[in-house]
Amino acid sequence: MLRKKEQTVNEFNQVVVGNSLTKEAWKRLKKNKMAVFGMVVVIIYAIISFSASFLPIYPYDESIIDHQHLRPSLTKTSGELMLEQQYKNLYFKAWRAGRLVLSEEENQMIEDLILKNETNKVWDYLYKEGESQREAGTFEFNSTEQKTIDKYVDKINTDIQITINNLYYLLDGKKTSLSKLDYDTLLDIYAKEIKADSALIETSLDKEIRSQVTNTVKASLTDATDEDITAAVDLEIENMSRKDWESKASDSIIGKLETSAKKTIEKKMKAQIAEGSVSFPFKGDIEINDHITAKAEVSLKHMRRYFLGTDYLGRDLLSRIIYGGQISIAIGLIGTITSVLIGILVGAVAGYRGGKIDYYLMRFVDIMYGLPYMLLVIICMAIFGRKIFNLFFALAMVSWLTIARMVRGQIMSLKNQEYVEAARSMGASTSHIILRHMVPNSLSVIIVYSTIRIPAFIMQESFLSFLGLGVQAPYASWGSLIGDGVASMTLYPWKLLCPSIAMIVFLFAMNFFGDGLRDAFDPQSKNQL
Amino acid sequence: MAEDKKVLLEVKDLKQHFPIDNGGIFKKQIGAIRAVDGVSFTVKEGETLGIVGESGCGKSTCIRSIAQLYKPTAGEVIFEGVDLCKADNKTLLKLRKDIQMIFQDPMASLDPRMTVRSIIAEPLNIYNRRGLLDHKWTVEEIENRVEILMEKVGLNKTFKNRYPHEFSGGQRQRIGIARALALNPKIILADEPVSALDVSIQAQILNLISDLQKEMGITFIFIAHDLAVIQHISDRVVVMYLGKVMEISKADELYNNPKHPYTTALLSAAPIPDPVKERSRKRIILSGDVPSPDKERKGCYFYDRCPHKMEKCSCNIPPMFDCGPDHQVACWLYEEK
Repeated sequence: MLRKKEQTVNEFNQVVVGNSLTKEAWKRLKKNKMAVFGMVVVIIYAIISFSASFLPIYPYDESIIDHQHLRPSLTKTSGELMLEQQYKNLYFKAWRAGRLVLSEEENQMIEDLILKNETNKVWDYLYKEGESQREAGTFEFNSTEQKTIDKYVDKINTDIQITINNLYYLLDGKKTSLSKLDYDTLLDIYAKEIKADSALIETSLDKEIRSQVTNTVKASLTDATDEDITAAVDLEIENMSRKDWESKASDSIIGKLETSAKKTIEKKMKAQIAEGSVSFPFKGDIEINDHITAKAEVSLKHMRRYFLGTDYLGRDLLSRIIYGGQISIAIGLIGTITSVLIGILVGAVAGYRGGKIDYYLMRFVDIMYGLPYMLLVIICMAIFGRKIFNLFFALAMVSWLTIARMVRGQIMSLKNQEYVEAARSMGASTSHIILRHMVPNSLSVIIVYSTIRIPAFIMQESFLSFLGLGVQAPYASWGSLIGDGVASMTLYPWKLLCPSIAMIVFLFAMNFFGDGLRDAFDPQSKNQL
Repeated sequence: MAEDKKVLLEVKDLKQHFPIDNGGIFKKQIGAIRAVDGVSFTVKEGETLGIVGESGCGKSTCIRSIAQLYKPTAGEVIFEGVDLCKADNKTLLKLRKDIQMIFQDPMASLDPRMTVRSIIAEPLNIYNRRGLLDHKWTVEEIENRVEILMEKVGLNKTFKNRYPHEFSGGQRQRIGIARALALNPKIILADEPVSALDVSIQAQILNLISDLQKEMGITFIFIAHDLAVIQHISDRVVVMYLGKVMEISKADELYNNPKHPYTTALLSAAPIPDPVKERSRKRIILSGDVPSPDKERKGCYFYDRCPHKMEKCSCNIPPMFDCGPDHQVACWLYEEK
């Protein structure tokens, strides 16, 4: 911490180090096991959620319709789970049709369960019974059912997912990445590939770009008439430089080539699966035709594993919770930091200047306090639009009040300390006194308050997201995940439980940490853990 | 010894009134605490001026007003020919370099979050940043200066990186003194620098102060309510009561020959460290309490409690009467002399 030359050594050649109040607080904090535990948990959460894009998890916004509502499983792949669900449905139908014969009591029990809406239990019971009866040979699927199952198994075994990382074109005997080529070359290549006239392609590209622009304009001008939109689109396209146009057109050509490449790869892979000459996940170069090679990853769609299950769009809940944590924690941090900064500024000015400025600032704070502040946030969100940034802004705007008051009180009591008078007698400026003496001395209170504030922010954000005013799809936050989960609580309880537990653990840890910090900074405090 | 020296600081009719408001929204002023109500004295170069008086008589307020920590209500503080009360900020900053303070509570006067180094270097850094030192000091120069100062006040310089709460009371006061010396001031205003220390440490600090004074020729204004301390350290003494000067005299003269009835009462209250003499000591018991300083007075400030009060005292404020070399008293008893 200290620079080398600032170190001091006593006559016994020992380095003399001072123990600052912060250092002593840190020592006390380390003795508090719960607080250290909380801190570690918080750090782990922060590391996981902020390195989410580097973690080997599925994209949080990729939905696979076949994978809707899969239950959490550590051992089974999504294909097995899908098949299990299919079996359950078939057994249920067979039981309804009277082909799956159960005893009188069992029938009665299942009827009761159906009346109680306990669908999961019915399915589980029938699945268990069906499997055992099939093994014993007392029940067999009829041919239509068997056909459905075979089809399903085939689908599970052959459905592949292709991600193309890069496309290469054999140009003058050298493999060149398509994204590095200029527009004219790309146009030539594309024209050769689909054997069409390049002028014709250009007109269709022009149309495509026009429709793209129209879409963006429509999104920004929601209540404009059609003529207005056409005019705006014309203006936009006129203003677009040739370079912009070409880059858009290039993107579109590459996209088209990728789509066609995907089709070719799918055909090739299906053939290879039938031969059994490929193992998944496949990763490498695949030749599309004589000129084009694709660097692609191919995996079986239904080999995925969802440790925490999926949601109603077939998105991986684990990665949604991690990405949701990213947003929730970011809201907690940014909200706290902004509110602390505003609070320190207002509180310090009010406390140090005193008099009229103090009076009017504090009355303003009082008035803001009097307003129902959730309502303020909701109004803010309604006025400025439901974007994440606006959520940050709205929460920060209304939450600096307490900090401002607290800092003001601290500064007022510090203002009459002798060391502040000493600094003034040395000719220190107001900003020097506030920044060097008052803020550092009230920092412990501010830090403690901030750590207690972060969970509150997360709760508020969750509340707003729960109401549907917070984070908007496809983004997720813990609150919005819980909100989604509540809707189908009885059928798919994991969708509610997983994000709730993730959030509860974090809030607990944060609160323990905050409590520990308070005790560490204020050893005389009576309400120690 | 001090007669032929030139006057360094002159205080003329200094008044410091603190407003009392009615607590309402518009803060209407309904009165004032007259903490210092017309004080005049001079300080000569190189001398130590003691200020004594009971608690609440305005000693501390007086020197805080001199240091411009409070903006005085009226009066002049002339330092090196410039009136500090009317000086603009820039002049004030330049002059303030030569006026430093030592405070009463050494723990409270040191920022608990700063190391000793940054505490002692703070005035240097402030003036260095404003460019008001003789040249731009480098970090090493400041570092050296801090070490020299620490040695000068008798602190181990290896303690630079320690924090105030790791020191004893006496050491803390030494840090405070080192800080006051950092800018090589001409005058140091010491606000009861020893009253928070125990007796043996008091003696050490007092000796340190008088050594420094001899060595560096610094002028001191020294506040204490311990009469023995004042007698030990001061050349001249100002006796204050209720924000007004009662008597100014050379220290020995004052202790041997107090003139003002308040001074005699004050001196008689001090115990004598000799049991035989102590038993025969005659104490003058004043009746009543110190009156509240919130009303304007027309007569002698000591009138309510004076054992020698006269008709005249109730409605005429006594001026300072000369009664001997360098001895002035504000009492009508000495009018004819």
